[in-house]
Amino acid sequence: MEVKVLFFGVLAEVTGTALKHYSDVSRMSDLNHRISDDFPEIVHYNFRIALNSQIIDGEHTLLAGDEVAYLPPFAGG
Amino acid sequence: MEFNYLIEGPVSSGIIASYMEMISSVKNAGGHSFFLGQVRADVMEGKTVTAIEYSAYENMVVAEADKIIESVMAEFDDVKTVRIIHSKGIVKAGEISLAVMVSAGHRKHAIDACAKTVELIKERLPVWKKEIYSDNSHTWKDNQ
Repeated sequence: MEVKVLFFGVLAEVTGTALKHYSDVSRMSDLNHRISDDFPEIVHYNFRIALNSQIIDGEHTLLAGDEVAYLPPFAGG
Repeated sequence: MEFNYLIEGPVSSGIIASYMEMISSVKNAGGHSFFLGQVRADVMEGKTVTAIEYSAYENMVVAEADKIIESVMAEFDDVKTVRIIHSKGIVKAGEISLAVMVSAGHRKHAIDACAKTVELIKERLPVWKKEIYSDNSHTWKDNQ
């Protein structure tokens, strides 16, 4: 199973990518570990996480096709 | 006329004019309040902002803007229509990057609902801005 991961704003810049796919992740904690291994610099930034366009907090189960987005503080207007 | 929430580049005077033409058919409205957000040529450490590059999580913008409009219309029951138009991509200093246009039966709800919509956009819309300076350097800015 595979999930789609999106990075926005400054996080797209520091990771050098806007879109990445991860396989074999069944929970948010698994995904967060994989991401902090791949992009250790991300820990220096504030962000929230959206699962399928809904902001989430804490542990969640991931399903194939889920979209997880790493969102820096918003700056609209 | 139907708009999307996001448009590429600045909000043009034509978009605002289109809304003004549309409201002539909203005959139960007695007041309209518009807010236009403009890119300001701030000076930071001797460098002037020449443009902002906006990026957005587009699916979530649609979901959140729908919710913002729903909550504003629930809070201000005299409001007839709420339009939100936000730029993505490059908007130069002096150009408009956000238009909020609210029509209501009476002025108080039009003005208050417009102000509330702008605050909710700042808080909830998944949009990011990169300020670009005259020397081509840049800084990411946020609303906190």
